[in-house]
Amino acid sequence: MSLSLKELRRRPGRFGVATVILTLIAILLMFLGGLLDGLTAGNTGAIRAQQADLIVYSSTSQDSLVRSRIEPEQEKQVAAVEGVSGVGELGSVQLGARIDGKGPRDLVPVVLFGYQAASEGLPEPPTRPGEAWADATLKAEGVEQGDTVRVGPARSTIKVLGFVDDTRYAGQSTLWASLRTWRMVQNENRPDARVTPGISQALVVQSSPDASGLAGRIDEATDGFTSSLTESEAIDALPGVAAQESVFNQIIGLTVLIAIIVVALFFALITVERIGLYGVLKALGAGSGRLFAGVLLQAVIVTAIACAIGALAALALDAVVPAGSIPFTATGARLVDSTVFLLVAALIGCAFSLRRVLRVDPAQAIGGGQ
Amino acid sequence: MFLALKEMRRAKVRFGLLISATGLLVLLILAQQAIQTGLITSFIGAIEKQSAPVLVYSVDGQRILQGSIITPALEQKIRSTEGIEKSGRIGQGTFTVKVNDDEEDSDAAIIGYTDPDLGEPDQLSAGRAARGPGEAVGSAPGFEVGDTVRVLGPDGGSRGTGEIRVVGLADDAQLQVTPTLFTGWSGYVASVKSANPDAGAILPSAIGVAPVAGLDPAALAERINDASQEADALPRQVAADESPGVAEVRQSFQVIFLLFGLVVPLVTGLFFLIITLQKSASLTLLRAVGAQSGLLVRSLMFQVVLVIGGGLAVGIALYTPLSQARLGEIKLSFDVSAVLIWSVLLLGLGLLSAVVSARRVLKIDPIEATTGEGGR
Repeated sequence: MSLSLKELRRRPGRFGVATVILTLIAILLMFLGGLLDGLTAGNTGAIRAQQADLIVYSSTSQDSLVRSRIEPEQEKQVAAVEGVSGVGELGSVQLGARIDGKGPRDLVPVVLFGYQAASEGLPEPPTRPGEAWADATLKAEGVEQGDTVRVGPARSTIKVLGFVDDTRYAGQSTLWASLRTWRMVQNENRPDARVTPGISQALVVQSSPDASGLAGRIDEATDGFTSSLTESEAIDALPGVAAQESVFNQIIGLTVLIAIIVVALFFALITVERIGLYGVLKALGAGSGRLFAGVLLQAVIVTAIACAIGALAALALDAVVPAGSIPFTATGARLVDSTVFLLVAALIGCAFSLRRVLRVDPAQAIGGGQ
Repeated sequence: MFLALKEMRRAKVRFGLLISATGLLVLLILAQQAIQTGLITSFIGAIEKQSAPVLVYSVDGQRILQGSIITPALEQKIRSTEGIEKSGRIGQGTFTVKVNDDEEDSDAAIIGYTDPDLGEPDQLSAGRAARGPGEAVGSAPGFEVGDTVRVLGPDGGSRGTGEIRVVGLADDAQLQVTPTLFTGWSGYVASVKSANPDAGAILPSAIGVAPVAGLDPAALAERINDASQEADALPRQVAADESPGVAEVRQSFQVIFLLFGLVVPLVTGLFFLIITLQKSASLTLLRAVGAQSGLLVRSLMFQVVLVIGGGLAVGIALYTPLSQARLGEIKLSFDVSAVLIWSVLLLGLGLLSAVVSARRVLKIDPIEATTGEGGR
């Protein structure tokens, strides 16, 4: 161990290029992960903010909020199901928002939600029509508390009461208003999607603690009119979210594979270079296990340095990326995951050198091989 | 060259590993290029393939067809702009549909037009253009000629749309990664009303416009935008390229490509540097017995070309079947220009990365063979 550490200290140049390559791979891995997390957060914030046990859509909506339509009759049926402790209506409309100080063509895309049930992520809905809470990302667009934004071609006015965090939806900023305001804005701006009082797009359901199988019972109670999903199912059902995760995870997997190859290649070469030295060490009594442990330690240290630099780069990127540009988020969990992946890759990569270390014959070191 | 080949033959595992690593990197780059192209085509293919040379959205629509609403006043202003040969309404919505007798419901984007020359795809890959109500051209992949499609209402029934029959197909004509139908205006209106029984007036999402002979579509778009601050007129390709999300997808992939572009030369550069260091004693000896440094550098570069070439061959061989696959609704395709560009780029970067090794070879002093320095 001390020998391998000494080598790292005395000949850092030998490991420099491998560290640079692994650092690039670590940055790539953390960038890909951060991009995925950023995209997912920007698409799913509004659903996560509900902190619902179930979200209920109409069954023919393909679990799409904008296509779902829940009638008062079904809401009553859902509320009456045993195990349901609370039901809130939810509606949404995507529009362009005109913000004071911006040009006539410089609109900000927003999703205005109408909601009924407060949660830890959302305060009580505004009581007066034309008022809303705004997602904090709108601050970057120049919106301040008390400002009025005008949404849609009808220029429906919405006064911003304050801000809420992490409630983006479909990659857009959100406004959170009462159901009455949502219906008013929807009908003023989207006559093709007009809704009458009592109609909503989805129901946010809270359940009592022992309500197992509630989703099935709700759908049964509405005679198949509804499709009830858990929060994670509702997130997966959002357009593109599952496909996006699948594609990114495949790329991340292949990147880890490349890391394995790079480590294998580098340490195989280092081992080949040291065959003579290993022979001498073995002749002096060092076991194969000890020699291989030294290689492993070097790989782990090189990879750990690469991961640390990668994580710092990811955190720096997260800090400097302006809101609304690249959807990048560096989370602790993602950075730890990536580090673990790369460390495991380093260990696997190193394992390819094990055979060579085992095959070193100490007799060759003292001329027995000649 | 003879020495270079002989060395590669004798160190098959070493060079094989590097060729495999390079091949995997090439595969990753090309696969991501294909995913990027497929993703963007699936997002905006319908905009590229529809026939209107200029699309006029409302500014509020943010260049999303489904988000745009053209009010009657705006429609009037657009139509009265000088330089328009003809114009027509275009509507778009995404609906839950039943295709044929499938048990599962599915999604379909429906694009309706009042004038087939301003909305229907102008190139079909199969079948014929839609001629009347109840007929549609479908995107491929997504639909087959002869498919029948029924738009479902909230209760699972369809209120008066009847069936839409697919009579023709247009390749790569999806919208928002959703199978897409192009049909007449009446079919579109019926679909909206079927999905939402409370729907009021069905307004167009955009106006398709063709310029008079001799007028450039871009110039007409500028005239329309000058005529109204509510209008957002764009030539067809610009409308596709500037659809929300397209620039972000391109930007994100470019960063990934940049990182991969750095990893490949670094891997090959590192490999050849280590090899050169390992062989320094032999290289010194070769120099001492008369081998020119130019010959040794050429050998090195020959190996770089073979390794990168081998990696490219492995990567392209793996990419070929992958490019025929589909990722959900995203159709991948073999992109010859991407293969050529990346091959030249990676070969160039690989050779560049070997410059450090080449400099070491050039610095070898044959006299060191007599002092034993060459081996260090």
